[in-house]
Amino acid sequence: MSKTYEEINEKIRSKKAVVYTAEEIIDVVKKKGIEKAAEEVDVVTTGTFGAMCSSGAFLNFGHASPPIRMTDIRLNDVPVDGGLAAVDTFIGATSLTEDPKKGYGGAHVIEDLIAGKPVHLHAWGPGTDCYVRKDIDTHITLDDINEAYLYNPRNCYQNYGIATNTSGRTIYTYMGKLLPRMKNATYSSAGQLSPLLNDPHLETIGMGTHIFLAGGEGYVCWQGTQFKTNVEEVNGVPIGGARTLALIGDMKQMDPKFVHGLDITGYGISLAIGVGIPIPILNKDILQRCCITDEQIYAQLTDYSLNTGRKEMARYNYAQLRSGSIEYEGKKIRTSSLSSLSGARKVAGELKSWIENGEFELIKPVLQFPKKAKLKTLTEDWL
Amino acid sequence: MERKFKVTYNESNVQGSVAYVLVKEFDLTPNVLKANITGDGCGFMVLSVSGDEETINKGMARVEECGYNVEPMVNHIHKEEAKCWECGACVAVCPTKSITVDKDFHIIVDYNTCIACGSCVDACSVKALRLVI
Repeated sequence: MSKTYEEINEKIRSKKAVVYTAEEIIDVVKKKGIEKAAEEVDVVTTGTFGAMCSSGAFLNFGHASPPIRMTDIRLNDVPVDGGLAAVDTFIGATSLTEDPKKGYGGAHVIEDLIAGKPVHLHAWGPGTDCYVRKDIDTHITLDDINEAYLYNPRNCYQNYGIATNTSGRTIYTYMGKLLPRMKNATYSSAGQLSPLLNDPHLETIGMGTHIFLAGGEGYVCWQGTQFKTNVEEVNGVPIGGARTLALIGDMKQMDPKFVHGLDITGYGISLAIGVGIPIPILNKDILQRCCITDEQIYAQLTDYSLNTGRKEMARYNYAQLRSGSIEYEGKKIRTSSLSSLSGARKVAGELKSWIENGEFELIKPVLQFPKKAKLKTLTEDWL
Repeated sequence: MERKFKVTYNESNVQGSVAYVLVKEFDLTPNVLKANITGDGCGFMVLSVSGDEETINKGMARVEECGYNVEPMVNHIHKEEAKCWECGACVAVCPTKSITVDKDFHIIVDYNTCIACGSCVDACSVKALRLVI
């Protein structure tokens, strides 16, 4: 028994699509059995809401009169890219104000724009015959500017490691505050709700996939950076960071409750956004993979006090991690998440209601991502 | 019961012992959670006091009579709900397990068991937690 995208979309249009979140589907399949459930269920919605530094936004400010070709641009004192066309820019999420103590960066500019707040634009240019103006000092809002696209070169990491600290001092990392002598461990995945753990080999997710992006509609626009496939799998899913996605969406549609600029102590700025991806239940194998549970998804514990060569110390599943503590060589280590599970549930729930209400259709990918990929490393010049 | 107080001192009473008064005269159990003295002899301590309510009130009134400024501490860790995105980064860094997640993974702060150490404050990526002492 199988379905097509068009058959599912037809049911969505007539508001008859049967949709469950990736958490709800586990019990549905247990109760009905895989065959019957695959016939009845049309879409499973997934969700994730975590930090991803590889985020940013493209803006076009519109032209002033007389016009300026901006080459040095600040938004709320955050330097943004001046290497595009006259009034285009890219805000990198991790860009910082000159005073890093402010704890404000590109991610916060994106957050403020989406929240509808005015943002201070100060820009300079060389002054040319066609762009005579040399500077402009003004305020913009999301409504005032022409285009504003959120663009994530990398998001939705398929899985990620668990961080701890064996040293004698507290360390501050992108995996949060790690107390000395392994007093805590942090992890960052929505586990059984996470998009790429429910479609681990990207059978249905590819370029053009229609997604929920921070409360608006978005698209998967390429494979994410650092995309790799050569990661050990347990129960059919990788035990570490493997596949990733590049995402794009219109900031003007986004909802501030799904966008947070982060100031991670001792590390820097990052952006957290809610991403939801629908998985079309084209056949029972696809549905079977959506039934993955936290107990079946494993991640590796590594020591972030080591500057390099972090090896796997142990592995734990997400049910253990979510229980609040894990045990390592007889020692209890308290665990906490760095991505918001309650936020991921809201994302998957909202996407589910969009589909049920006939407001969101599925798109068949126009390009599949590589079946095999591995990462290169950066080496220094050999002098 | 247990209650927490901010006890402020200065150069005139910094050498006295608040804990001694509470133990000796009132049979209370004081526990100094935090204390500092600046170069001019001034400072404050965060004191947890256990005993029955009436005795705690009497004991702390006596501490005030000795010239210390006593302020009961209520909601000394402040969580700004609108800012919190419920990531959970604060949970495992709390030494007294005063920050927990409920079954729906919402973050719950128990103000009664919080010892005002501030460990959670710099673990929060959106500055939703603030120590108010």
